[in-house]
Formats: sequence, C-alpha cells, structure tokens
Amino acid sequence: MFTPAFFTTALLYLGYILIFPGFLFCFVIGLLLCGIDRKAVARMQKRVGPPILQPFYDFFKLCGKETIVPAAASRTTFMLAPLVGLAALVVIQLFIPVFNFRVFRNLPEVADMIVILYLLLIPAVSVMLGGAATGSPYAGIGLSREMVTVLAVELPLVMVLLSVAKAVGNELGTGLVFSLSGVVDYQAAHGSLIGHISMIPAALAMLLIIPGETGNHPFDAAEAETEICEGLLAEYSGAPLGIYKLSHAVKMLTLTSLFVALFLGGIGTGVEHLVAAVGLTGAVAGAVSLILQVLILVLLCIVLTLVTISFVHAVTARLKIEQLFKYYWTVVTGLALISLVLAWYGF
Amino acid sequence: MFKKLIEESTGKSPWLFHINAGSCNGCDIELVSVLTPRYDAERLGFKLSGTPRHADIVVVTGPVTQQSLARVLRTIEQVPEPRCIVTMGSCPQSGNVFRGSYAIAGPLSKYVHVDVDVAGCTPKPEAVIDGLVKATEILREKRRAMK
Ligand code: SF4
Repeated sequence: MFTPAFFTTALLYLGYILIFPGFLFCFVIGLLLCGIDRKAVARMQKRVGPPILQPFYDFFKLCGKETIVPAAASRTTFMLAPLVGLAALVVIQLFIPVFNFRVFRNLPEVADMIVILYLLLIPAVSVMLGGAATGSPYAGIGLSREMVTVLAVELPLVMVLLSVAKAVGNELGTGLVFSLSGVVDYQAAHGSLIGHISMIPAALAMLLIIPGETGNHPFDAAEAETEICEGLLAEYSGAPLGIYKLSHAVKMLTLTSLFVALFLGGIGTGVEHLVAAVGLTGAVAGAVSLILQVLILVLLCIVLTLVTISFVHAVTARLKIEQLFKYYWTVVTGLALISLVLAWYGF
Repeated sequence: MFKKLIEESTGKSPWLFHINAGSCNGCDIELVSVLTPRYDAERLGFKLSGTPRHADIVVVTGPVTQQSLARVLRTIEQVPEPRCIVTMGSCPQSGNVFRGSYAIAGPLSKYVHVDVDVAGCTPKPEAVIDGLVKATEILREKRRAMK
C-alpha cells in the first residue's frame, strides 16, 4: 500500500487541498474579491475607498485581537462553528471544475450538483449554530432571518441547477445530467451554455442568487449592522470573527466560480486551442493553458462580483426580510422556471 | 513575521464603536460626516461597527450623564483588547456647558484611561480624523506590547 506512487498521490491531493484550488487560493482570491467589491462600491459613491488589500488587514487584525467567549455560550460550538463553515467552502471549491482542470479527474461522479447544494448550506448553518450558541438576543433575530434567507434562496438555486441539468441532458440524450464535471465537459465540447436561449433566464436568476447567497447588501437583513448589530455575529470577536469574515469572502468566490462553471464552461477549450495555435505542446502547453484558465477564471469572478455584488450594493437599499422572501420566490424562481420549461422542450 | 503582520494590520483596520453618553447630538452628526464621501475615513480603514465586540476604538461623545455612566463603562469593558478610547468634543473632557450640573458624572477620565481627546464643540471633521489616526498609532503600540 505505501508505495512511492501512493505518497505522490497523497502529496498531490494535499497540494490540491492546501494550495490550489483549496485553501490558499480561496484565501487570497476571496479576500481580493472582497477588497475589489469595497473599492468599487466606494468609487460608485464618489469616495476614495479603502485600499484593495483592506480585507487582508481586517483579517490579520482580527487574528491579533482578544477572543471573548460569552459566559452564556457553549464554548466548543462557539469556537468550532466558523471552522466548519470555512472547511465546507474549501471543499466546494475542490469540486467546482476550473474549466478543463478538475481535482477528481478519475472520479467524475464524485460530486454532482446535489452535493454542492448541500455543502453550500453548511456555512449558513455554521453561522446559525455559532450565533445561537452565544445566547444573544440579537443573534436570535438574526437566526430567524438567516433561516428565511436560506429558504428563499435555495428554491431558485435548485431550479437553476435543474434546468442546467435538463438542458445538458437533452442535448446528450441522457435525461438529467447532474454531474458538474459532466456539464463542463459538455460545454468544453459544444460551447458555453449561455449561448442557449433557454439558459439565459437561468443565468439571470443565478446572477440574482449570488448576492442573496453571500448575504450581500440588499439581501443582508440577517446581518443588518444598523438595526440588529450584525445579528448572528453580534457576540463574536477576534479570530473566530475573522474566519467568518473570510468565509463570507470565500463564498463570493465559490458562487461566482460556480456561475462560470455552469454557464461559461466552454472558454477553457478556446484557451487550449489558442495555446495549441501558438505552437506549444506537451507539458508546457498543459501548464500554460492551466495558468491562463485560472487567470481567466479570476477575471471572470471579478467581473461577476462587480456586476452582481458591488453594483447592486451601490444602487439599492436593504430589503425587509419578507420582501426578500417574496422577491426570491416570485421573480427569481419565475426566471428559473421559464428556463426549466424552455429546457424541457429543448430550446 | 506573523506578529509583525498583525501589528501592521492593527494600525490599518481600526473599527469604531460610537457611544452617546448624553451628547447634544452635534458631535454624533459630525462623527457620521467623517465617514461620508467628503471626508471618507474608510480610505484609512475606519469602519463603523454595530457591536462593541467588533470594535477597536471606542468614541465617546457627550458629558457622561449619571444615567449613562454605568452603561458606558460596561460597553467599554466589552471591547476586546487591544482597544483605544477616544473622547470627542469638549463634553466628555470637561463637561463643557453642562459643567456643574447635578446630572453630570463626567469627565470620563475620572473612570477610565482615555487615550485621545479631541476638543471642540463640535470638533471639525479634520480634527476628528486626526485624533482617530493618533488613536490607531496608540492601538499599534498596544498590540506590540501584548505578548
Ligand atoms: S461638545 Fe458641543 S456639540 Fe459635542 S456633545 Fe458637547 S455640547 Fe454637543
């Protein structure tokens, strides 16, 4: 069992988990997205805005602060909940293909969209658990609001995933394709899904889901710092708070790269053709095209963040929780439903 | 290296918590104006936080009335170390026009160590930003002194 091949594989997977596309990648790109978002919002409000690296400063500062555990809190839950949430996000990032690169190459069935749907719930649940463990009344209000937000966003997200699965399944004649790498494989061979008429409403719905799922501005009733003192995070301080802030940043990366994988997955093939056209072959070509694909992914994530998070933040005011719920279950779910019907009839 | 990083970051990301200890509301409005597009203190990393647990700098306005004294002290205790206390306006320093009133328990420095005083009634936003920047330097010093 303990052959050299085993150790190389183990080392490789360790690299995947810790460096790319795991923890380090999530950490750097997630906080970068957060910084760009804050800067962009400031510029849209005619302010100078904080430096792009501000979230990094915030994170490291919080690491150096005292952590106060409230007397009424259950200590283990309080300290462990943030870590569980972050770990779930890093795991999702491992499952989302970066165009033609994927971690579990020989196990294409290892994670389909349903798993990602479940894993996306864990960060929200971890915030709720941690907040509830503090026993703060603000956390109580935040808890109920967060629960409603999760319920509101989940339904349209399921619809979007279903319509993508149906669209790809129709084309391939295999019913529903729930495997995320299957979806990206299909796009690599036949062009991005955004080119299909039936997928345009679903893409729009997904764009609207991103700020709701990350809990960003118009949909942040659960963390409203002006009325309920950041709700679930009210009692958190120091490093655990920093990890929650980090999770929030990583969630932006997760959702934008999920969007890219679902609707823009065909770009990777273009990059490979380009690299081949320049005349590179073998391992060099593989490395160059991987680097290019990662760069393009990061760029797309930045653009998506600017459109779905920063712009929406700058032009809207916070919704009440019942407005949020109604909005997601009517407008966004409606869009996803149109897509599903269109995909069912093969447009 | 990690310690140095934390120290640098502490000076660059001070989050404020604002306590109104019986102020006439003049200073409160002026503090908000520091964060508006014209003065934009967020470019230095300042951010208004909703709860004392997230704060680094506590800004106290108002002459500390008998009623508010216990609450002010309790709120300050909830702020995790390292923390800085900044008084804004002449009220928490001296009592200002309310001095001698039976309802006043101030000045604040009788009860806690105040790091920076920004005088004026109300202080100009420039003076407030200057005071807050001084407080971030003290904050960095305090972080250095920790372990
Ligand atoms: S210093 Fe002046 S403006 Fe500020 S609270 Fe006191 S009286 Fe009001």
